[in-house]
Formats: sequence, structure tokens, C-alpha cells
Amino acid sequence: MQVRLLLEVLLLAGIVSGCTSMGVEPWERDILARDEMQLTTDAVEAATDDHIYFSKEASSGGRGFGGGGCGCN
Amino acid sequence: MSSKDHRSISGALAAATCTLLGTATSEPVQAQDEPGWDFNTALLYYAEDDDRVQDLSLNVLSRRVFVDDRFLSLGLTLDALTGASPNGALPQSVPQTFTQPSGRKTYTTPAGDMPIDDTFRDSRVAITANWQQPLGRLYAINVGASASVEYDYTHVGLNARISRDFNKRNTTLSAGLALAQDSLDPVGGAPPGLTQMRNAVDNDDGDGDGDGGNSGPDESKDIVDFVVGVTQVISKNLLVQVNYSYSDASGYLNDPYKILSVVDGTSGDAVPIAPVPGVDSPSHLNFYEHRPDSRRKHSLYSQAKYYMSGKVLDASYRYMTDDWEIDSHTVDLRLRWPTGESQYLEPHLRFYSQSAAEFYRPHLTDGDPLPAYASADYRLGDFDAITAGLKYGWKTGGGNDMHVRLELYRQSGNIAADQLIGNQLDQDNYPDLNAIILQYGYQFGK
Amino acid sequence: MNAARAARGIDVARGDGCWRGQFFAMASPCEVLCEVEDAAEARHLTQLAATEAWRIEDKFSRYVPGNVISRINEAGGSAVSVDTETAQLIDFAATLYEISAGRFDITSGVLRRVWRFDGGGKIPGKAEVAEALQYVGWGKVTWKTPVLRMKKGMEIDFGGIGKEFAVDRAAGLVREASAASCLLNFGGDLVAIRKPVLRDAWKVGIEALESAATDVQKLIDLKVGGLATSGDARRFLMHEGVRYSHILDPRTGWPMRNAPRSITVAADTCTQAGMLSTLAILEGVAAESFLDAQGVRYWANR
Repeated sequence: MQVRLLLEVLLLAGIVSGCTSMGVEPWERDILARDEMQLTTDAVEAATDDHIYFSKEASSGGRGFGGGGCGCN
Repeated sequence: MSSKDHRSISGALAAATCTLLGTATSEPVQAQDEPGWDFNTALLYYAEDDDRVQDLSLNVLSRRVFVDDRFLSLGLTLDALTGASPNGALPQSVPQTFTQPSGRKTYTTPAGDMPIDDTFRDSRVAITANWQQPLGRLYAINVGASASVEYDYTHVGLNARISRDFNKRNTTLSAGLALAQDSLDPVGGAPPGLTQMRNAVDNDDGDGDGDGGNSGPDESKDIVDFVVGVTQVISKNLLVQVNYSYSDASGYLNDPYKILSVVDGTSGDAVPIAPVPGVDSPSHLNFYEHRPDSRRKHSLYSQAKYYMSGKVLDASYRYMTDDWEIDSHTVDLRLRWPTGESQYLEPHLRFYSQSAAEFYRPHLTDGDPLPAYASADYRLGDFDAITAGLKYGWKTGGGNDMHVRLELYRQSGNIAADQLIGNQLDQDNYPDLNAIILQYGYQFGK
Repeated sequence: MNAARAARGIDVARGDGCWRGQFFAMASPCEVLCEVEDAAEARHLTQLAATEAWRIEDKFSRYVPGNVISRINEAGGSAVSVDTETAQLIDFAATLYEISAGRFDITSGVLRRVWRFDGGGKIPGKAEVAEALQYVGWGKVTWKTPVLRMKKGMEIDFGGIGKEFAVDRAAGLVREASAASCLLNFGGDLVAIRKPVLRDAWKVGIEALESAATDVQKLIDLKVGGLATSGDARRFLMHEGVRYSHILDPRTGWPMRNAPRSITVAADTCTQAGMLSTLAILEGVAAESFLDAQGVRYWANR
């Protein structure tokens, strides 16, 4: 009985911590709010890279739209 | 300090302040960032070895912030390109002469060299405009337009994207759609696919386009892109994104300047054309390439940003597959490493690998029936590429951000042995590429 | 301080769509911007604010002999009875000590005897700090309104609250005396009274980065309410590559590390803004998350 209770408690704790560990509270966003933690840190650099690889390789896009608008490929 | 402690202070502080200052009436505070412009600018120099393509590119992305998190972005890109590009023909043990795309002159490639068309010179102007704003508390929309003009190419496009936050803004779902219509007016006209490279005609052929080329009509293509994605905050220092995107291009998808050598089925050498006196003609038999008129691509992109005691790892992987039977894998790794209060170094590694398009072939074989589609464009071949770079960024005395980065890009391809014939097996048929990317960036006004 | 007091006087000049009064108080340049037509009214409001600033300075400055702070600090262990206003300030400080779990402490000034923040690289020894720390700690003080007793060698000062308190008090007087929209700026601690009419908002420059040469400013639109900045991009101590803030943690006697260089907070009153920005610095690396939890608008400069 005690073992079962313990198991249930552990299971519940696991579920709860599983839910709460995915994501953060608003006041825990100090790191996520930093410029260097944005998915695209430099939009111009991302665009120039996309443009270069679009013109030299058969793949494009992924991060956003396919890029292109260029006679280079 | 636990999060609960964090929360209790402002109420208690307000009460204590009220007691201290008495009943002085004050309105609730109203303060915000001053609306204004910020700018992200970059100067990029891209250069391939062996006097191939060089590009000098100026990029400006300006953003005007308005109240309530609305903003307008305007982008301008100016490119000046010079240099030469492999034309698709195979190197030969004798010099080869080709007709320029303009159709008015010829150029000659020395024996043993990779044939490159060095008449290539272009400038490009591209503009973008985007408007982003919240829609209610949880939605945000972004609509935009883009256009670009080159000597032989114009592009217009529209895009829209909507996102919604869930789960205390730890999860964001987004969906976007982009439509583009591009039109080509190639130098010398768009040649019909899989037809023989024409002779040079040293005068205007009278079709009104001022050159001696094909009188084919302008061509166009339509592109529809669709993206859905989810961004998830995993923990205080880990953020991931997964996107699926679908792209459908239809219309004229050939590269009008790319050709294929027509070779002898035994020796593998290009078939020579007997010169006719008074006619400036190619020395060997070449056909213009021909690609299908539609292409559907599927991409799966995932990215993670991970903060570890000051350093930030940015890792992404993309898988792409399309109905031209090209599959590609891209891995991109960046590590932002602070080297002082306001400086950082960022090493960058990128690995790329793609398989060849189903219609990619290094040449056409004389006497064989013509395939439906064929291209010897190295960009549709089987190759691997690696980029290695280093970026150094710092804050200026004025509080703006600057960076320089140097990257080396190397492509090395291979052509399946069963696609090569005779003498071709003894030579390097794939135009390997080495390029440097040098960029200087300056962000100000933030 | 005596030199500053000798120079007490106000100047009023026409500004851009307002009158601008200036004076010097609490070791800082102060200004009063008023959307009034009349120079006399501007002069009157500036005089009102300046008089209040000087009154508070004289009363609570630790440099003025014979004032209530001197009496307390020189009591040598005996009990001192204080007036109502002083008692209110001490009550406020006691509350802040409590809700900040000891981070805000008006007895921490003693530490300044061993710490010198002049941009140099000298830091005191551990023993020296520990010695000074014996005389720090609101918990060691007996405070039963209005009587205060602390052991010999301990001191209190209102350096961490005085300017914010003064500008809020002065703003209260100006608000009663005029229906105009005014901005009071006491050395970077600001209060905007009523929304401005002749402009969208008061444009307030905050220091954006350490740069003695360029004086970089980021502009904030302040319509109404208080704005205060803690930390100072230029006052710090470098030692063996570590940058120490000039804000000391009274619990350890050592300066905060990994704190933002400065934090500007907007709140209903300047006092609240000042307390929140100070407490945020004292959270060190968690400064931003602390402020996120308070639901206030802030600008951190790391």
C-alpha cells in the first residue's frame, strides 16, 4: 500500500514537473529575452547567407520562405 | 530568490510609498520607448577563386517602431556582380569555342580548362517592405511585399504570416504564405530547351531585342511557398523551432545560359563541328539545357538556441526533398562566445550535402535519343559543401553593434562513374568551387 | 557641499515650448520644465521645487552638521527621538529592508569607508570588509517609532532614497500649485505631472552605455509618472578583469557582480521606480527577471 502510494506520488510529481519544466514563467525570461537568444540574431546576415546559398545550391528556405527572387538560379 | 518572493514586492512597495508620500494623487505611469528608426546595414564581398563570380553587396534593413509593438521594416539590397560561371560544358583536350549568350560573338576556352562564360556581369536592386503588428493579445500578423530587378530578371512577391502564442507564450504556432512571380528576359532570348547552341551573328537579327539571339518570348515562373512552424521554449535557456515548408515553382525553370556537351559515345569527347567559312560558330556540339516546368520541394527545418553560462549555441538542421529527386541535408552550427564585456567571437560551421537531380547528366551522348530533360548545371549535381567562418562582433563607443566575419565556402562534387565515358574518366569534370565571404555589419539607432 | 549650498539660486529660461527652471541640489543639476505661458509662474514653480529639494537636502544629508542624520549617527549608542517626517522615512526604509530580504539597508553606508569607486583597481581585503560589516545591518538596530537606537559606530543615511523622495515631494507641491503639465528632473530621478499638452510626451534621455566621450542617450517617452535609474555606467571598480558595480550588497559587504550596468524603471512614483531599480541591481544576474515579475517597464543596460 505504502509502496503504491509512493509510486503514485512519484508519478504525479513526474507529470507535474514534466508539465512545468516545459516552458518558463514570465519572470524567468531574462535569458530568452537577450538579443543573442533570438532565433534570428541578425536579419541581414541571415538574408545574405540565404541569398548566397540559394544561388549556389539546389536547396533554399526552411527557416522562412524559400528566398530567391533572383536570376542567379 | 524564489519566484514567489519576486512577485510580492511591488504591491508592498506601492503601499509603503503611499504611506510615505501621503495622499498625493498620481496617475498611473505612462512611459515607453520613443518611437524611432533603427538600421541594420552590411557590406558583403563574395568572391570565388579562378576569377569566377564576385559580388559586392550593400544591404540596409531599416525598422521603424511604433507604439503597441507595431513595426515597419524596409529593406534595400544592391548587388554588383562580375565574373564568370561554368556554362555546363565539359573540359576538352582541345580549345572549345562557344557562342556568347547575346548571340553576337563567341568566346574560347583553352584546352583542359573548365568552360566558363566570362561575359557575365549584372547588377541587382531588391527592395522589401513588411508590416508587423499584434492582433489582440495572442496573435501577431506580418504582411510584406518584395521586388527585385536585374538586367534580365524581375521579381515581385507578396507574403503574409500569422502567429499565435499559447501556454504563457512558451509555444508559438505560425503559418505563412508567399507568392512570387518572376519573369526572365535573358540576354539573347530564352533558348528552347535541348536545341543546338546557335551560331554567332555579328549583327542585330532584327527581332527588336537588339541582339543576335533567339527570338523566343520572355519567360516567367510562379512560386508559391507555404510554411508552418512551432517555436517552443523548453527551459530558461533552451528554445527550439521546427518548421515544415512546401514550395511549388512552375513555369520556365531552365537556366537559359547553361548548356550540355554532346559527346561521342565511345571516346567521351565533345563532337566537333566542321567550321564553315564566314560563319562564327561553336567549335563543338552543345545543347541548351532543359528542366521540367514544375518543381515541388518539401523542407523540414529545426533550430535550437541554447544558452550556457554566457555562450550561445545556435544549431540547425534542414532536410529537403523535391520531385526532381534532389535530397539535401544542411547542418549549421554557431557558437557565440563572449570575449569581454561587449565583444564576442562566433565560429561558424556549415555542412551541406545534396544528391543529384534525376535529370542531371554531365553530357548528352551523340546518337542516343534525347532525354525529356537534361541539365549539366553543377548546382543540380551530387556535391558536398562546407562553410567555415569566424565572426567578431563588438559594441562601439556610441553603443552600436559592429561585426566583421570571414567565411570560406568549399563545394566538391562528384559525378557517378557510370555517367562518364572514355576520356572523361581521366579528367576532372565537376567544377569545384572555393569562395570567400567577407562581411562588415553595422547596426545603429536601436 | 558647502560650495554647492553657497550657489543656491534658480535660473529660468524659455525652452522649447515650455519654461525651464534650473537649480543645483543634492549634488546634482535639477530642472523643472513647465508648460506654462508665464515666466513668473515658471519661476514660482521652480522656486517651490528647489526650496523643497534644499530643505530635504539640509535635513537628511549626512554631510550637514547638526541635522537629524548627524544627530543619529553621532549618538554613540544612545537613543534618538526623531520628528514625524524622519520617522516616516525610517519606517519606509524598515519596510524595504523587510520586503527585500535585507538587500536594501540604510545602514550600509559604513561600507563606503572601505570601498572606493573611482574606476581604479584597488579592492579592500576580506578582513577590512568583515570589520566594516560589523557596523552594518538594519536587524541590529532598535527602532520603535519615533525612537531609534543603534550601536556605536553604526550610521544610517538616506542616500539610496533621498533624491527620489525629494522629487516626489516637490512634485506634490508643484501639482497643487499649478494645473500645468510639468517635468521635474532631480539629477536623473524624474516625475512627470499630468500628461503634456503641447507635446506627445516628455523626451527623456537615459544613459545607454558606458562612454564618457559620447554621452550616448536612449530616448524614452514619458507622459506621466516617475522614472529612476540605478547603477552607473561610469562608476565601477575593475579588479583582475572583474567589473564590480558601485552598488554594495549590504548582506555581504561586497559589490554586486553580474548586475546590469544601469537599470531605468518607470513606475507611478519616482520613489517606487528608484526602489525597484535599486533592488533589481541587487538581484545581480536575475535583475531582469525580478523586474519582469514586478510588471513594470524597464530598460536594462548590461
